Amino acid sequence: MQAFTVPAHAPHHILRFRNVTVCHGRTPALEGVTLDIPCGSSTALLGPNGAGKSTLLRAILGWHPLVTGEILLGDAHPHHQLPRLAYLPQRQSIDWDFPITVRAVVEQGRYPSLRFFQRLSALDHQRVDRALDELGLVELADRQISQLSGGQQQRVFLARALAQGADIFLLDEPFGGLDLLACEELTHLLRTWVMQGRTVLAAVHDLALARSGFNRGVLLDTTLVAAGPIAEVLSPDNIDRAFRRGRAARQNPLHLSRTTEFPS
Amino acid sequence: MSLHDFFIAPFAYNFMARGLGSALLLGLSGGLLGCVLVLRRLALMGDALSHSLLPGIALAWLIFGPSVTALFMGALLAGLLTALGSALLSRLTRVKEDAAFGSLFIVFFAAGVALVSKLPTRMNLTHVLFGNILGTSNTDLGIAGIISGLTALVFVVGFRGILLQTFDPLFYRASGGHGGWVHIGMLSLTVLNLVAALQTMGIVLALGLFLLPAVSAYLWCDHFARMLLLSAGIALASSAAGILLSYHAGLASGAAIVLCLGAVFFVSVLFSPRYGFISRILTAPKRSLSA
Repeated sequence: MQAFTVPAHAPHHILRFRNVTVCHGRTPALEGVTLDIPCGSSTALLGPNGAGKSTLLRAILGWHPLVTGEILLGDAHPHHQLPRLAYLPQRQSIDWDFPITVRAVVEQGRYPSLRFFQRLSALDHQRVDRALDELGLVELADRQISQLSGGQQQRVFLARALAQGADIFLLDEPFGGLDLLACEELTHLLRTWVMQGRTVLAAVHDLALARSGFNRGVLLDTTLVAAGPIAEVLSPDNIDRAFRRGRAARQNPLHLSRTTEFPS
Repeated sequence: MSLHDFFIAPFAYNFMARGLGSALLLGLSGGLLGCVLVLRRLALMGDALSHSLLPGIALAWLIFGPSVTALFMGALLAGLLTALGSALLSRLTRVKEDAAFGSLFIVFFAAGVALVSKLPTRMNLTHVLFGNILGTSNTDLGIAGIISGLTALVFVVGFRGILLQTFDPLFYRASGGHGGWVHIGMLSLTVLNLVAALQTMGIVLALGLFLLPAVSAYLWCDHFARMLLLSAGIALASSAAGILLSYHAGLASGAAIVLCLGAVFFVSVLFSPRYGFISRILTAPKRSLSA
């Protein structure tokens, strides 16, 4: 737990985006995004569908070539510091019938740090146990993963990220498909993580959840609309710009009335 | 009939011993690879691949005549082209991997049929379709040994990479793994095994060794490693049982092996304690109450 010993605003603890542009084919998915994300905070990535939230997360991992600009974690590219990063894919990408138990999934978190033929050491097992314990999965450790509720399944993958020993967590729609209680549990957990000095960067759809669970926000609509403390970012004005300017105002194929209220 | 007469005596014949050896070797690697194919939902890939081998075989025949090595290399090349071609297509274009496979194998098969019609002598394709495991030569056995050993070695050395790439390729990539290479490795091993099995078992029966043990093991296991071991075990046991059955009952050997695999499969489908048909029926009322 590096973050305990290092002040949160030391330069190598800032995730910097400098004029980042990413294209999918010819369509820009992110355009000229310049942004600092301080570590030790929780940041909600917000914006309409197709605003580039997932793209931003994947760009950090080095999966998309940058057309312009650069992304730095401290003074190096983040994809050279993969052990510090834990990525949580969307839940639908997992085959829940896969023959694997909760413990085996969490053990995968230790795989990247093992060399060929090296087996899990006692220390590795300890970390796995600690992660299972922290997420309240000890009782469920020997279950096959389809025999869990949605919230429990999400916690298994968070435990794997924890076992990895990462301090920056990139979560792609972690609240997707979770019920109210599970959402509250997850929000609570993420808040605890941030208090322990970890960094959470999550793509979030629900503005109310973002407001209650995160201390910073980044509002995207291909370009950066706003970034900063969550309350400032989610001002009615900004929300309007991000969610209506790009799509609804110009093109409204279903002829929906434009009176939808955004929760503020 | 004594136990010795039943289990040991048949293998006093060299051709029986070679047949058993080749079935065991290819069963082991087919059982392992099948697990990955079944879990990645590429179960029908073997079927598609087997058709795509035809142009390679026909072309090799056209150029080099009926030489075993040439036919082997021809089939291997055609299979690799299809497998890697469709993997590449699905990554570079919008087309998904199953559609890419389907399209490529049909084009390859058509090319094969066209080439066969150009052959001066009529090629006997029944051997390719049904094979003859009791006609296994020492060369065939050697090839099977090398390919099976290579497959087993890859699974032992690359176990964690194979597990991650099969279960959660995004996580594997995010943690610095080279999933593309693992996938290409699995596809190449599948082609190698299929081509080796083609010589001895014939295409259709070789597919049985890829699918049936893996699907059966899938119904029993909640651990990936155990599924691999059980699948390989089922393949080995059924191969031995099938050869014995064919000897004592006078059946075609490849078919006898697949029938044994099929028996294991149906028993698993019916009686698997958690995922079988019967247990699903018995637990169904409870499910609807808790839901």
